[in-house]
Amino acid sequence: MSTMLRELRLSLNQTQRVRLQSALQRLQDMASLASAVTVVADTVPVNHEDSILKGHGTSDLNGEVVAALCGVVERVNKLVYVRSQRARYKPEVGDIIVGRVIEIAPKRWRLEINFSQDAVLMLSSMNLPDGIQRRRTAVDELNMRSIFEENDVICAEVRGFQHDGSLHLQARSQKYGKLERGMLLTVPAYLVKRQKQHFHHLENYGVDLILGCNGFIWVGEHVNSNGENDMMVDQEKREDVVNKSEVGQATYEVRERITPLEIRKHVCRVANSARLLSALGFSLTVEVIVDTVEASISSNTDIKDILAAEFYVQTAEREVQRRVSLTRRKG
Amino acid sequence: MATNPSTYALSQSSESKQRLQQRRRLFQETDWTRSDGRSFHQCRPAFLRTGATNAASGSAYAEFGVTKVIVSVFGPRESKKAMMYSGTGRLNCNVSYTTFSTPVRGQGSDHKEYSSMLHKALEGAIILETFPKTTVDVFALVLESGGGDLPVIITCASLALADAGIMMYDLVASVSVSCFGRNLVIDPTSEEEACQDGALMITCMPARNEVTQLTLTGEWTTAKINEAMELCLDACSKLAEVVRSCLKEAASG
Repeated sequence: MSTMLRELRLSLNQTQRVRLQSALQRLQDMASLASAVTVVADTVPVNHEDSILKGHGTSDLNGEVVAALCGVVERVNKLVYVRSQRARYKPEVGDIIVGRVIEIAPKRWRLEINFSQDAVLMLSSMNLPDGIQRRRTAVDELNMRSIFEENDVICAEVRGFQHDGSLHLQARSQKYGKLERGMLLTVPAYLVKRQKQHFHHLENYGVDLILGCNGFIWVGEHVNSNGENDMMVDQEKREDVVNKSEVGQATYEVRERITPLEIRKHVCRVANSARLLSALGFSLTVEVIVDTVEASISSNTDIKDILAAEFYVQTAEREVQRRVSLTRRKG
Repeated sequence: MATNPSTYALSQSSESKQRLQQRRRLFQETDWTRSDGRSFHQCRPAFLRTGATNAASGSAYAEFGVTKVIVSVFGPRESKKAMMYSGTGRLNCNVSYTTFSTPVRGQGSDHKEYSSMLHKALEGAIILETFPKTTVDVFALVLESGGGDLPVIITCASLALADAGIMMYDLVASVSVSCFGRNLVIDPTSEEEACQDGALMITCMPARNEVTQLTLTGEWTTAKINEAMELCLDACSKLAEVVRSCLKEAASG
């Protein structure tokens, strides 16, 4: 279990080990592709009479297709490629990502997003805090640190690639921007699938969950201006906020800073559930995470015990049941 | 000696020199037993595992006899700004020793020669065109040095690169052979390395039958070189199978 070795150190007792093994075995049996694992320099069997396209992760040796990566062979029509499980994130235009600012350069921020290069967020490709559309002046440039500082966590969207292969981001809506009062998790990027919705508000817990396509996951206190509000409403609100803060700036500030203990606990619980699922190697979707959180509450599991052996095994077994019921429904 | 304790240990260096001489003479003979009871053409048992460190994008641990090595691979990540633009990726290798790696406690330090040799051995196997503008960093740390360090580092590094998901033509495996008089001794320990007449190290890609690095030092005859190369290449392909099975095991869980 390489994933276990890497992520969690569990001390399973004998029965737990047996249960876990049987659960994982059943999951493997159910996987329809029965993933044939290839190692570097294994020949990939192809039918040479058909014309094939050699894709990513393959190289050529005496006319044979040879894997250049460790991973799973995937075939899409003529294309044969190797999908690596421990590779870095491969951005696509429109992906929603979470990243961390590592540097402020002229007119741009550089972000670490688990891509092979740093991503670039231009000052001109994000909305200014005052919400007015205008040219960015030298003053704006000097005030960049007041928007994002080094080590801030930011949510943004992939805008596109420059001709030299560097990656540009944009944050042109109120739902993007700085993330505060919460925690950042990093999981392997392949566990987060591209979906219609990456921003989630878990209403029962007052928690925001952002599943970045790059495997960075944000769990934080719910922020009101986040989400589907359109920009006009946001601006009005913002003005409200300004007015309020003018009236009683001190009290407002204090109220802003403190996150209630209850919410903090919820944040930790959601985060630990996501950690657990990534350690098990299950895809992270909001349904599965919420399901795990609910299971942990109903079984009275402590927040720290979510990562312990018993709940680990239970989660694996629950996943088996979920998939069994799914296949039944289909059949 | 025990009845007469010496205040100064002046004789020690000459004594150890004498011991070395003695051993050297012994190794010149046609038949002697190795300290770990192996036959001349038998390698040390290899233990390999992936995922030794958490923070790296790929890592591996190797234990060949007493030689223990951890290799971590970082990247591909953006090259430093000071570096010029390059259409192919860069490989950056660094080999260092811990302070407790040798019997005599020393200063753990970078090993410049091994670093450059590791670079030479790996760069032929990595498909550098797949990550332009970026750098892959390979850091090897020798936990315990027990002879044949460089071959172990190279083999472990190729395993770590594969674990990091970096495109390679093939895994590389490396084996060294020492020459003692008429004998060829594979996978020498540090004791044997200290007395050898000559050494040969081959790094190869077994599936492609290509050699990425060959190092030859000391006295050799052509016939001996041929024999040693045959021996090395055979051992390399077997070692690659061990690496391969380790990767299979890690991938299939």
